[in-house]
Amino acid sequence: MTDNPEGRRGSDDRRQAPTDGPVAPNTPIRRPSDDLRVRAAIRNELATDRPIEPGELPALVNERTAENVIALDHVSLAFDEPILSDVSFTALAGETIVVAGESGTGKSTILKLLLRLLVPDKGTVFIDDEEITELNFPDALKVRQKMGMVFQGAALFDSMTVFENIAYPLREHTTLDEDEIEARVREKLSFVDLDPDRVMEQLPSDLSGGMRKRVGVARGMANNPKIMLYDEPTSGLDPLTTATITHLIIKLQRELAVTSVVVTHDIRSAFRMASKIAVLAEKRIVFFGTPEEMSASDDKYLRDFLGGF
Amino acid sequence: MAYIWLRGHRPECQPPASNAIASHQRPHLIERFNEGAKRRVHSLQEFFVLGGKAIGFAFSRPFYRADLIQQMDSIGVQSLPIVLLTGFFTGMVLALQSSVQLKTFGATMYIGRLVAASMIRELGPVLAGLMVAGRVGSGIAAQLGSMRVTEQIDALNTLGTDPIRKLVTPRVLAALIMVPALTVINDFAGIFGGSIISSAYVGIPTSLYWRTVFEQIAADGFIFRYIPTDFIQGLIKPFVFGAIISLVGCNFGLKTTGGTEGVGVATTRTVVTASILLLVVDYFITQILLAVFAS
Repeated sequence: MTDNPEGRRGSDDRRQAPTDGPVAPNTPIRRPSDDLRVRAAIRNELATDRPIEPGELPALVNERTAENVIALDHVSLAFDEPILSDVSFTALAGETIVVAGESGTGKSTILKLLLRLLVPDKGTVFIDDEEITELNFPDALKVRQKMGMVFQGAALFDSMTVFENIAYPLREHTTLDEDEIEARVREKLSFVDLDPDRVMEQLPSDLSGGMRKRVGVARGMANNPKIMLYDEPTSGLDPLTTATITHLIIKLQRELAVTSVVVTHDIRSAFRMASKIAVLAEKRIVFFGTPEEMSASDDKYLRDFLGGF
Repeated sequence: MAYIWLRGHRPECQPPASNAIASHQRPHLIERFNEGAKRRVHSLQEFFVLGGKAIGFAFSRPFYRADLIQQMDSIGVQSLPIVLLTGFFTGMVLALQSSVQLKTFGATMYIGRLVAASMIRELGPVLAGLMVAGRVGSGIAAQLGSMRVTEQIDALNTLGTDPIRKLVTPRVLAALIMVPALTVINDFAGIFGGSIISSAYVGIPTSLYWRTVFEQIAADGFIFRYIPTDFIQGLIKPFVFGAIISLVGCNFGLKTTGGTEGVGVATTRTVVTASILLLVVDYFITQILLAVFAS
């Protein structure tokens, strides 16, 4: 993809998925094999390297008219040692910002700052044009209601069923009656491609990792938030599920125009879902731009970071 | 001059190779002691802030009534078998031991008084408290600790819920209500166990045993005409113990770090700290109550 940045919006014959139907000329045909390893390899390619349809890419945002929904302005934070130093970036309404970087560079800290679970030592954080750094705890809770968060391990409440998990924010912060709540839960589960009748009464421990993550997304979007935050949404998932979650994030942005911040070091998924990518290194943002700009960059660190991708 | 060296993985904690102790290391130890003391004072402050918030949230909305009832079931109803068993056997052992001692003075008829006084004033509250500390305190720490390490506490925060209001307040209130209730049951089980031993083993008629029990209960007089003073003494303690057990469990649970291993550490710390605190506080409450009721 680094060789051909434009390729992400077009088709690439080398990555054509196998199909039973008529095949385009010059397209190499991959035949099913009984060899399990070969089949697994094909499934992996299907999941990660197949050509991307236009509907699977984040919608383009008009930078002239769109408003800033998220802004970090020269934010610094230190505990025993510096975590973030002079970090600034903005997210326009409807954009998906991917925060990438090596482990331990403070990626997840940015999400905690946006949620005001942490307060920066210097600088300011704006959500929807409201400065949240000085808010007291009850006001911070109100700001958090504008955001949905998907945790690395889904963080579903063990003691509650899938239905109760998704209904939780609705029962807490809305006046919807039980029928309306059930309808909303069903709608959200269908959105994340889960069968409501099958999973609603199950406990999180009964679900697979990918299903838990999807329920986590459904819970995050239950309140129809303006902003979605994702902490390593694809970590620990198999390639097929990774692709599913990636497409889900794109679907949310395209269909509901949700502004998203995604923290990940899965650069392949990042290129698929990002409107812009912020690369963190040495406590700072060393790059902030579109995936195409990142691919075209000659910066040595970025080239090393992208590696063989 | 003798020096104590704290051996650790950090190179600065290793003893020097030469026998000359560098003078610049002394402030380092003092500094570490200072830091440790500050941390402990800070932890203590956090503990009291947690307690204050937990109680404060009981008087404001939203109030999680369903969670309170669930916790009352978990802390109270589910602790019933263990409390009944310990109370019953403690009462039996108490009657057995005291019968041996009282026989030398020909005063075995006072077994009922002795068992009742011991159970209601001291053993009932302390035993129920220790049992609940072991069963419930550890459970609270493990539950909240697991929620902390699996980011469920963060999830509550991000969903706009104050975790203290949702998790701590119901547990503290449930413990404040249920530990005294369990203590009353424990007292009764103990006195009942004592009656079985005194009639079956010592040969004291059951009616005499129960008459001496009621004499003991009435001996120290009544408050508000109908409430025996002994009951008040026996119910103030479990009320305080309930607060200690639930708050220690919640405090260590919410502060859990270090994954599943951290959950184990939080659980152990809760049981040890709550049990010690319970016994220490029991002494001081007894002193205060004796002074108050004697006057």
